Amino acid sequence: MRRTRLLQYEGFTSFLSSLMAIVAGLLVGLIILLISNSEDAFPAFLTILKGGFVDGSRGLAQVIYFAIPIIMTGLSVGFAFKTGLFNIGTPGQFTLGAFVAIYIGIKWTFVPPEIHWLVALLGAMVAGAVWGSGPGILKAFFNVNEVITSIMMNYIGMYLVNMSIVKTVYDSLKNQTKPVLKSAVLPKAGMDKLFNTSNVSIGIFIVILAVIVIYIILQKTTFGYELKACGSNKDASKYAGINEKRSIVLSMVIAGALSGLGGGLLYLSGSGKYIHVLDVLAPEGFSGISVSLLGMSHPIGIFLAGLFIAHLEVGGFNIQLYNFVPEVIDMIIAVIIYCGAFALLFKQIISKFIIHDTDEDIGKSVQAADIPASYESSVVNAETEEKTEQREDKK
Amino acid sequence: MEYVIEMNNITKIFGNFKALDNVTFNLRKGEVHALLGENGAGKSTLMSVLFGLYQAEKGSIKINNKTVKINNPNDASSLKIGMVHQHFKLVHNFTVLESIILGRETVNKGILKKDDARKKVMELSERYKLRIDPDAYISDITVGMQQRVEILKMLYSDSEILIFDEPTAVLTPQEIEELMKIMKELVKEGKSIVFISHKLNEIKEAADRCTVLRKGKYIGTVDVKTTTKEQMSEMMVGRKISFNIEKDDIETGEAVLEVKNLTVKAKNSKKNMVNNVSFKVKAGEILCIAGIDGNGQSELVYGITGLIPINEGQIFFKGKDITKYSVRKKSINGMSHIPEDRHKHGVILDFDLKQNAVLQTYFQPRFQKRGFIKFNAVSEYAKKLIKQYDIRSPRDEDSIVRNMSGGNQQKLIVARELDKDPDIVIAVQPTRGLDIGATEYIHKQLIAQRDQGKAVLLVSLELDEVMDVSDRILVMYEGEIVGDLNPKEITVEELGLYMAGSKRSDRYEKN
Amino acid sequence: MSTVYFLAQQTMYFAIPLLIVALGGMFSERSGIVNIALEGIMVVGAFFGIGFIHIFQDSMSGQSLLLLAVLVSALTGAIFSLFHAFASINLKANQVISGTALNMFAPAFAIYTARMIQGVQQVQFMDTFYIRSVPILGDIPILGPIMFKNAYITTYIGLLIALIAWFIINHTRFGLRLRACGEHPQAADSVGINVYHIRYAGVIISGILAGIGGLTFVVPTSTNFNATVAGYGFLALAVLIFGQWRTKKIFVAAFFFGIMKTFASAYSGIPFLKGLPISNEVYKMIPYIATLIVLTFSSKKSQAPRAEGIPYDKGSR
Repeated sequence: MRRTRLLQYEGFTSFLSSLMAIVAGLLVGLIILLISNSEDAFPAFLTILKGGFVDGSRGLAQVIYFAIPIIMTGLSVGFAFKTGLFNIGTPGQFTLGAFVAIYIGIKWTFVPPEIHWLVALLGAMVAGAVWGSGPGILKAFFNVNEVITSIMMNYIGMYLVNMSIVKTVYDSLKNQTKPVLKSAVLPKAGMDKLFNTSNVSIGIFIVILAVIVIYIILQKTTFGYELKACGSNKDASKYAGINEKRSIVLSMVIAGALSGLGGGLLYLSGSGKYIHVLDVLAPEGFSGISVSLLGMSHPIGIFLAGLFIAHLEVGGFNIQLYNFVPEVIDMIIAVIIYCGAFALLFKQIISKFIIHDTDEDIGKSVQAADIPASYESSVVNAETEEKTEQREDKK
Repeated sequence: MEYVIEMNNITKIFGNFKALDNVTFNLRKGEVHALLGENGAGKSTLMSVLFGLYQAEKGSIKINNKTVKINNPNDASSLKIGMVHQHFKLVHNFTVLESIILGRETVNKGILKKDDARKKVMELSERYKLRIDPDAYISDITVGMQQRVEILKMLYSDSEILIFDEPTAVLTPQEIEELMKIMKELVKEGKSIVFISHKLNEIKEAADRCTVLRKGKYIGTVDVKTTTKEQMSEMMVGRKISFNIEKDDIETGEAVLEVKNLTVKAKNSKKNMVNNVSFKVKAGEILCIAGIDGNGQSELVYGITGLIPINEGQIFFKGKDITKYSVRKKSINGMSHIPEDRHKHGVILDFDLKQNAVLQTYFQPRFQKRGFIKFNAVSEYAKKLIKQYDIRSPRDEDSIVRNMSGGNQQKLIVARELDKDPDIVIAVQPTRGLDIGATEYIHKQLIAQRDQGKAVLLVSLELDEVMDVSDRILVMYEGEIVGDLNPKEITVEELGLYMAGSKRSDRYEKN
Repeated sequence: MSTVYFLAQQTMYFAIPLLIVALGGMFSERSGIVNIALEGIMVVGAFFGIGFIHIFQDSMSGQSLLLLAVLVSALTGAIFSLFHAFASINLKANQVISGTALNMFAPAFAIYTARMIQGVQQVQFMDTFYIRSVPILGDIPILGPIMFKNAYITTYIGLLIALIAWFIINHTRFGLRLRACGEHPQAADSVGINVYHIRYAGVIISGILAGIGGLTFVVPTSTNFNATVAGYGFLALAVLIFGQWRTKKIFVAAFFFGIMKTFASAYSGIPFLKGLPISNEVYKMIPYIATLIVLTFSSKKSQAPRAEGIPYDKGSR
């Protein structure tokens, strides 16, 4: 009984499947390292595992720095997923957000310097929201698959941003955006002294705030209730009178805003990051998918998964010491996602397990899944007859 | 007499439920043999065993006197057994010709040779008078023609034994007549036919013999010509021990729900699933819509509650025209709906019990403030329902509904809908899957609603429930009301006749 | 006039890979398996194909080397696609996630392997396959310069593939059965067709074609492979959808998108285009915007295979 009690917690089974996917990914990574260079494989692997713990507080700062954008895109993917939508459009939304943040950071000199960075971030959110609304509207009103529209929007966004950069905030020598004004850079609030590096800012607090807000929306509000209902069972939502179209659009708008904010946070961090005018989709967008999958689309899980993957990325960066190529991390993450694809299967197997253990009904019926639907009414009567016969016998 | 098929002592069990209990069935060459029974009697299961979709736990099958094992539809096919399913297995954008030859294509090194196939198909079409257009697309042809395509599929693979599963369920009256003619042609050419049905008229017209099943048991085989519909109906329905339900006589009040000329079309065809239906449900009465599954009851309820659009007609609720109201508006105005498919509409399996308890009411001020859910209130409410309706679950109000048994899920839905204090309760098969205690309790609740002056629209497939719980019965057949009956004044057998389409009240002449 | 010829030739370079890959996608999706991993498979195919050329270009050259490379690309693309097939068909996993995983793995793999073996990310190769002019055919007025000058045999391979694909899907037993599996697998199953086998075939074919497409993309346009196919796999998806999963329309779509790509990159060299106030990014965007528009208005009547993306379970009848 103990075993099944534990298995019933939705969170636990999710955690188990994520764990299994991570182990599988890491194993593959180890194998790849071994094939490439068996001597240094284990030390390198350990370096990966140690990740951000290698360089003291600066290592931690690195992890946080990498984690910030991917937690945001992870929240974006995860939030949309709760409504039953696949937001593969995070690169586009992220890049739009980044661009608008930079643009405001350079061009909007009329904004009071104290809140310049805040306005830039808000602009990023709006940009992302607008970009996310496209697939949302198309899905809600025209029933177009959001995966394809999101992919299209990624490319349209990329070209649009590249075009806009060249026309507005272009550094032609380096083929990238110009630096933003000091007032637009995220405040450090003493974090740089704490971590002994200039690579930190209050960005992490904003991320934590976002995680909390999303958590509250999903778990504590009627709006979140409606979104989750639509994502879980469209028909029952209709029965409950929920407006499905509205839920879909709003969900994508919020998801877009989250990714956009991620873009803003990264490019306003004052760490020397610029948008390069290249035809390359923002990788932070795709990392969001891995983060969301690992975090089982739960805000807290996503936060932890983002930190974990950032941790791995720092580790990957460090294995260059052993003459390994950091891309092995991307391969590990890809394998983790691949395993994540059938994690849901794993969860379903576990729930079937549970029903058998805890059915306490008197006239215990067989699982609805086993009997063809037309029989269900007969089940009652079969038992009724038995029981009434028993009653007769007793008389 | 030579039997082409002998199924002896077939027992089929699903889990711990006996779908077929020692059933024997045989088919003579060249006959049309009907399989009659109510929903859940075992007719489809028996034929599924014959067609290799299921394997029986006990019993044996003989084809032309040889014992055989049929493990899958391919085996059945090689034994020359073919089946036309109730839900056609046709690809919408294939042509008729392509659909017929799929799986049995004539090829030359992998390249399709359609000309030879076309010749054979047109020959078959001529011989059996099965009108088809070989180049038409499946999505463009009528349901009747689609069925002929399914029949041709069987003939093209040289089936000798043809099984039809409720073939007339999706046909218009004219198409049904055509089908009867086609079956006669098939038999003339030496084919043997089994057809599963609950419609006595058709059985009388087309069949030679009829085997009746009831609750998985073999009741008997009769010669159709010398047996009356009443006799067959009695075999199908049998005598039952009813629950003793106590019911006071109540004065009925005004009509709470009025449906006028309601017509609802099926999703994929032009057939009217609900065909110009009108009726009233009064306060203080339990009106039951009786009938065999598939005669329009589902669409009627979905149309009334707003889950599917209606094509024609009006709905009045407490005097107001609510035809265009949204699902939620109807619910807020006092309409409760216990849906037929609890997993599809009734609950969200991944949500927990308390979340499902407020599925229809979460937006009310008692459960939320400015968009934030009042969890205490929701929990308390859920606890109240659990206690009142004896809902069992692994972790009470925190149980994930997916982990609850079907019966308890149903109790939750009933609890939720009745607790809304509605003006009308529309309950579709509310006691499906419930044990006797729960069933009695639900019946008591429904009667209590009625005693309080509410209206209850009950849709049921269980004759006991229909006879004992309702004050008035409307029988639905082929989308129309064919009878308005008083349960105190008719017998179960008579009800069976109405349900099988062989009797119509004078008031309800065919549309 | 020479501008026109130049544009036509460029269009070939861009359109043919799109055509090949989109046709591959068609086989997979029409069998019922959504395959967004085309991008990743192209990378794998290109990597191994170019790698093969790089290794053997000292001892071999010319068309025979290229043809062997095509085979290598086809084979490796097929093997890589097996992962997607296995996850989607046997494990009934979410096909979008599986596809995304493959897309993320491929470039990382290419970069890692290249750097580990040769120190740098880019795999260089010598272009000994360029055909200045096909004998005889190249001298045909108008058609000659367009199709038979400044060409590569990969172009002709691509056109041949298109022809064969059209024939297979419309006129063979395999094609008929494949289509049934993608529209209504229960119907196929009920007449004894093994849906799992056919779907595997569909995915493997998409792997072969996407692999070839990757190689075809790199060879005419570059002298090295840099672990990317610049989003061509996704553009091929757009071609597939724009072409409503039908060979003829895919052919048209591939060339339409190819022309747009050509305008975008040849932009500055063409006075006519330079004159218009349309920046070259806009040309790059047009194929994607066009796809969005098509999708919006055709989703109701979409000819997408009805059963695609839904794992087939024999037990559910």
